[in-house]
Amino acid sequence: MSAQETHAGSAEVAARVERRWATIAVIIIAGMALLAAFAGIHQATMPQPRVETTDPSRIHLSGEFVESNLGSVLEPNGNVTVRAIGQQYSFTPACIVVPVDTPITLRATSADVVHGILIQGTNVNTMLVPGYISEQLMRFTKTGDYLMPCQEFCSFGHEGMWGKVKVIDRTDFATRAKAGGRLSCVGQ
Amino acid sequence: MSTRDLFTFRNRHFTIGVGITAAILIVTAVAGFVVLPFAQPWARFTSIWDAICSAAGVPQRTTSVAAQAQDKRLSEVVLTSRTLSRPSQEAIGRGATLAQRCAICHGPTGISRADSPNLAGQYAAVIYKELHDFRSGARSNAVMSPFAVNLTDDEIADLSNYYAYLPRPPAYHPTPLLPKPNIVIYGAPLRGIAPCGACHGSLDNKTGSPWLEGQSEAYMKAQLQAFASDERRNDISQQMRNIARALTPQEIEAAAAYYASQPPDVVKAVD
Amino acid sequence: MLANRKLILAHFWFAFALFGVALTLGAWQMFIRSPIGTWLSNPELYYRSLTAHGTVMGYVFPTLVAMGFGYAISESALEQRLVGVRWAWTGFWLIVVGSVMAVIPIALGRASVLYTFYPPLIGNVFYYLGVVLVVVGSWIWVALMSINLRVWRRAHPGAPVPLAMFANVAGSYLWAWTAVGAALELLLQIIPVAAGLKNTIDAGLARIFFSWTLHAIVYFWLMPTYIAYYTIVPRAIGGRVYSDTMARISFILFLVVAMPIGMHHTFADPQVGAGFKFIHSAFTALVALPTLLTVFTICASVEIAARLRGGRGLFGWIRALPWDNPMMLALAFSFVMLGFGGAGGLINMSYQLDASIHNTQWITGHFHLIFGGAIVIIYFAIAYDLWPHLTGRELIDMRLIRTQLWLWFIGMIVTTFPWHWVGILGMPRRMAYFDFGDPAIAPQALSVILSVIGGFILLTSGILFLVILARGMRAPQADAGAYRFALAVHQPTIVPVALNTHALWVALMIVLTITNYGYPILNLATSAGTSVPAVYVGAQ
Repeated sequence: MSAQETHAGSAEVAARVERRWATIAVIIIAGMALLAAFAGIHQATMPQPRVETTDPSRIHLSGEFVESNLGSVLEPNGNVTVRAIGQQYSFTPACIVVPVDTPITLRATSADVVHGILIQGTNVNTMLVPGYISEQLMRFTKTGDYLMPCQEFCSFGHEGMWGKVKVIDRTDFATRAKAGGRLSCVGQ
Repeated sequence: MSTRDLFTFRNRHFTIGVGITAAILIVTAVAGFVVLPFAQPWARFTSIWDAICSAAGVPQRTTSVAAQAQDKRLSEVVLTSRTLSRPSQEAIGRGATLAQRCAICHGPTGISRADSPNLAGQYAAVIYKELHDFRSGARSNAVMSPFAVNLTDDEIADLSNYYAYLPRPPAYHPTPLLPKPNIVIYGAPLRGIAPCGACHGSLDNKTGSPWLEGQSEAYMKAQLQAFASDERRNDISQQMRNIARALTPQEIEAAAAYYASQPPDVVKAVD
Repeated sequence: MLANRKLILAHFWFAFALFGVALTLGAWQMFIRSPIGTWLSNPELYYRSLTAHGTVMGYVFPTLVAMGFGYAISESALEQRLVGVRWAWTGFWLIVVGSVMAVIPIALGRASVLYTFYPPLIGNVFYYLGVVLVVVGSWIWVALMSINLRVWRRAHPGAPVPLAMFANVAGSYLWAWTAVGAALELLLQIIPVAAGLKNTIDAGLARIFFSWTLHAIVYFWLMPTYIAYYTIVPRAIGGRVYSDTMARISFILFLVVAMPIGMHHTFADPQVGAGFKFIHSAFTALVALPTLLTVFTICASVEIAARLRGGRGLFGWIRALPWDNPMMLALAFSFVMLGFGGAGGLINMSYQLDASIHNTQWITGHFHLIFGGAIVIIYFAIAYDLWPHLTGRELIDMRLIRTQLWLWFIGMIVTTFPWHWVGILGMPRRMAYFDFGDPAIAPQALSVILSVIGGFILLTSGILFLVILARGMRAPQADAGAYRFALAVHQPTIVPVALNTHALWVALMIVLTITNYGYPILNLATSAGTSVPAVYVGAQ
């Protein structure tokens, strides 16, 4: 009799301990999910809000990714918009120039296959999928040069696809922007 | 309880399993489609319906952005892997007739003894693109441009197919075979230079990029310098200017000399 | 001895032979792109090797291990003759043919698109057909597992399905369903283009299909390992499973939530809506639950073994564990790697943290630590545990086995920790060459060299593994007896139908797939103008 009862008793204990552990596990997980949602709202790090499409083989003919429109532009509200494309095997502009401490919108797309933009030392990181436009918000807190490798395999020249980002002083940027046009640091 | 009762609310596991899953789904859906979009002031949604559709990923065509006017003529060619893929024999024949007028510079068999490019066996898409660019003025050359201006679209296609059909030149060696320079083998990754062969045929061909083996050294050097100085800009979206600008003058010399010394038998064909 | 030893040995030997080849390629890749390697002047060879490594390690090797192990479980846990042996052989040969068919174009440089396919890059059609054959072969196994369980149920109405078989069948259903994503991508999108019937493809849609497969496939790889945690480890070290119910719940949770979370691989993609990214992120958090439950149950089971062996004290029992037992050693190593890898996984899971490491070497480090480390080290232990039952011979050299496990563990840590680090520094994945001479990335050189050393330790360990198994084929004969699985402390006599069958959970899995994937797929599939021209690689 007692053996049977102890057995049932210990099963009870085991079940209780398990439930407790499961509760802890659920709390940990719920906590993490909440943290993610919180960070998304308060640090402006949410995925791009819209899905936009474009025709990769014709981006050089019309629309916002024609050659003369690629580069950085100072918007009337003081923000900066950067337009860039990835193609086998370079980014255009190959060197992106932006001001420090300024909200920047990066809009980019691919002209051929899947590429990626990653700016080292920051959490700017987005895929470029042909047919779709990627948009990412960014803000640099330090001036200097950053490397911008393509982070997705894009065929045999992938290892040679590295761009640069030059973060410069705000007044410098404003001065250069006065001349109009799209800014880049290509050839500097 | 039998298996039949599995999918009923009398089954505790069914109720709990489905209930929890549905609850999580509803909570995360409300958070993901309504709360989070509106918690991001920079996203600017016009209505709740706009927010939900955007969060669901309904594709939108970008409203046309006022692009800057192009101050220089650029290439208007659309190149894909489909461009000129399967030519007919007649097209090649018509191309042969048309090609007679090209022979003065490019040689009667598409192999030039001057410093003009050898066209025999060149990728069709390359000739197609350059002829279009010469015709539109995106690329200009005192000798070549007048030949191109009067060509029709069909004539350009026929010429491209004809030259692509010709056998590649047997190795013509103005200089002895040179060792591969580093810039050709490795490129210079951190300056954004991929190995030349990744586009130009020995590793793979990027549509519109020519193979270079056995071409004139002077010609290749001049073109690289023209790309680097922005004088030539018919490469779509700066694909070649990006590379040429990053090359040093020594690397330009080394690459041009190396390719000029190579026989074109390592070049891959496109399907 | 197992009755179907030939079948199981065939699966294991083919799996491990390919594993040896792919491991060698992996070590070579690490070396050739490191500062100590001399570059071979052809990036294409690197990408060929990378494609072969990924295809074998991702599709063929774990699938064959799961299949072989599954047949062993079906036969020994159900204690009945395996139904459909001829079909099982058909499945095996389909995989052999598929693997060869896939590897030839890779070796010829006609399919260097990596195992993740990456359309609009398009390789030779036979590569994709080979992968399809591998998947079809494995689906035969899925059907056989289901049929065998059904046969057993008919003979034992209402009896609790042995835990090992319950988990095995859960794993097979998970695989059947998760492979559908890649199968749709291949059959509807890629193969028509590779065969020349079409020349445009929606690259964004393809990435969504692939993410359907890409994450749950990891849980399919993980299934044999978790089955071993619950049903082999406690038996091997003289303990009992702490809770049979909790084990079933863990496997059920894997079945339900491993599937609808794949879009966390597409956090940085422009073609997926933010709302779906959030839902997938939340469900990804949920998939940590079965792992946390498992860690608890297994630690408790191990503690039981230790206390039965006279272990005392709050932590003193740890010393009483049979540390010279390869299974114990493998479990400890596996848990350590699972712990680090899981912690890394939590970072990948949230959009916010993922942005700083997406597609960097961090990710490579992460899945090598989880898959190559925590999972594969248990594959080794499973092989060692099963070998005497397959060969009728004893594995004698326990020291060599322990050395092999130690080397794998050390090698994996030495390989992946620096990988994580350079990933944080922003070193991108899948690059054939890095110019470490440039001051901008020169500081990463030391970490890269360290991980190459790790890679060669892993290669040594892998070779040792194959040597031990080969020697095991010629060792003195010994009867290992029947193959047994661990018993629970409270062996169940009645199990609720929901925990004894899969129907409810498979239904939930499919429903969740529809809710989480249905709209994104339909949305892009029906949108005009999202297809882009194909780019053929490796033109000849």
